[in-house]
Amino acid sequence: MKRLLAAFVVGALTLGQPSPALAYLKYGVSVRGQQVTVRWTQSPVRYFVSNTAVPGVTAVDFQNAVARAFATWQAVPTASITYQLAGVTSASPGSDDGSSVLGFRSRPDLDRVLAQTSFLIDNSTGALIESDIFFNSSFSWSVNAAGETGRFDLESIALHEIGHFSGLGHSALGETEMASGGGRRVLSAEAVMFPIAFTSGSIAGRTLKADDIAGISDLYPDGDFTAADGSLSGRVTKDGQPLFGAHVVAFNPATGSLVGGFTLNAQGQFSILGLSPGPHLVRVEPLDDAETDSFFDSSRVIDLDFRATFFERLVVVPKGGDTGEIAMKVAHK
Amino acid sequence: MRRIRKAAALLAVLSTLRAIPALAQSGPVRSHVEVGLGVLWAGSNPLGTRAATETTASGGTSALFSTTSELAAVAGLEGRVGVRVTKSIALEGQVSYLKPELRVAVSADSEGAAAVTAVDATQQFTIGGRALWYIPGRRWSPRFAPFVMAGSGYLRQLHEQETLVQTGRFYQFGGGFSALLVSRPHFHATGAGVRFDVSALVRSRGVAFDGGSQTSPAAGASAFVRF
Repeated sequence: MKRLLAAFVVGALTLGQPSPALAYLKYGVSVRGQQVTVRWTQSPVRYFVSNTAVPGVTAVDFQNAVARAFATWQAVPTASITYQLAGVTSASPGSDDGSSVLGFRSRPDLDRVLAQTSFLIDNSTGALIESDIFFNSSFSWSVNAAGETGRFDLESIALHEIGHFSGLGHSALGETEMASGGGRRVLSAEAVMFPIAFTSGSIAGRTLKADDIAGISDLYPDGDFTAADGSLSGRVTKDGQPLFGAHVVAFNPATGSLVGGFTLNAQGQFSILGLSPGPHLVRVEPLDDAETDSFFDSSRVIDLDFRATFFERLVVVPKGGDTGEIAMKVAHK
Repeated sequence: MRRIRKAAALLAVLSTLRAIPALAQSGPVRSHVEVGLGVLWAGSNPLGTRAATETTASGGTSALFSTTSELAAVAGLEGRVGVRVTKSIALEGQVSYLKPELRVAVSADSEGAAAVTAVDATQQFTIGGRALWYIPGRRWSPRFAPFVMAGSGYLRQLHEQETLVQTGRFYQFGGGFSALLVSRPHFHATGAGVRFDVSALVRSRGVAFDGGSQTSPAAGASAFVRF
C-alpha cells in the first residue's frame, strides 16, 4: 500500500514552503534519504473542472479560461507534458479523492490568497497522484479578453497555479514594493511563477516567460531539449563561505531572456538548466527580505546581506552540456 | 673575353629588373604565384544594446540593467596564396586567425550592482577567396601596383574554453597596393615585396547577437614572395 503525503502548495499572493531541488525551484520530497523531484509520471494529466460559477464568470467561462491556461503550458515545444479535460464535476477542489479538480471556493479567511494548489504525492517515488486548484471566490474575477478593472484575470492566475499543478515552484524574477494597504505590490515580473500576482485588471500574466519555459522543460524534457539547450552552474561565496539561498540569474544578451536559479546546498552551488547555447551574463542578488518564505522553508537561514554582483566573465553555455562551475564572490552591502 | 661576359651578365640583370616591374603592372601576361603572410587588423563590431527587462502590470517593461555589446578590434595573422590569371586580375585564397574579445558592458543596474564589462575571449578563423584587379596606369611607378579587391568566405568563431562554435560568412571589399622591393631571382622566387590594404569587412552570423551582418573596417599589411 502506498504511503501518501499531502503537501499543500500555494500560489499567487501568499507564501508556501516548497522543498528546493536542484536548478530553479521545483518541488521535491525525500525518498529514502534522496531528494526526488515531484512530477507527474503519466501523460496526459487528466483534470476536472467544477461547475461552480461566480459573478462575472460562468462555469463555461471558467472551463474555457482554464483550458487556455493548460494549452499555454502544453504548447511549450521543449516540454512533453500534456493535459486533458476529464469532465465537469460538482466536487470541490481540495478533497483527496484521486481526481484533480479545479474550481472556485469561497475562502474569505484567506484574504491575501487568490488561488491555491494542493498536491497528493506518492512519497515513495515523488510521483504526483492528484493536484487540486481552488480560486478564491472572495475576490472578483474576470475572463474578459482585455482584462477588467478591479477584477483579477482568471487565465493569468490559472496559468500560475497550473505551473504549481505541474510541479514548478516559485521564481524570484520580479520586483515588489510595500503596498499602502499592507502586503506587497508587484512592480514587474519576468516569470509567471513569480509568487505575487499583478494588480487586478492586468492580463500581463497570460504569457510564459523564458524562466517558466526553462522550468517546465526541465521537469518534462521533450525532443532534443537536453541536446539542444545547455546549463550553467557555479558556486557563490561571501567571505570565503558558501552562500545559501542567493538568487542567480542568467541573462542572454542575444535574446534578452532571463532565467533564474538559487544556490541550494551547503556548498553554495547553483545550476540553471534550459539555457539557449551562447554567452550569458550572470548576476547574483539577495532575495527580497519579505519574500524568502515564498521560496524556502522558514527554518532555513537565508543570507540577504550582500550586494547584487555580476560575474566578471561572459559564461558560454554549450549546446547540450554544462559550462562547468564558475566561482562568484559577493561582498557585504 | 672576360669583359664581354661581364657586360652580358649585367645586361641580363638589367633586363630582369626591367621586366619584373612590368609583370606587376601591365606587362607580360605570364602568370605567377604570390605567397603572402602578414598582419590583419579588424575593427570593432558593435553588436547592439539590450536591456534585461521585466514585464509590468500594464504589459510594459521595466529595465533591470542595460548592456552594450561589441566584438572588439583585434590584430591577427593572415596568410594568402594568389595567382595572376591575367595581366590585371589575380585570384587569391586566404586564411586568417584572430582572437577578438566579445565584450558586454553592463550599466544602470536597478539594484546598484557595480558596472562591469564581461568578456569572452573568442577565436576567429576564416578561409575564403578574393579577386584583385590591378588598376592600370602609366603614372604608377613600375614597382607600385594599386588594386581593388572583393572576396568572401567562411567564418568560424570559437568561444572561450572552446565550448561552443558559431559559424557564418564574411565579405570583404577594399583596395590597397603592393610594392615590389626585391626583384632579383633567388632560388625559385622571382621577387619579394610588401602589400597594404584597407577594406570593409562584413561579418554575417557567427557570434552576432541578432544573427545579422555587421561591418567593420579592416587593414592588412603583409610581406610576399613571388614565384
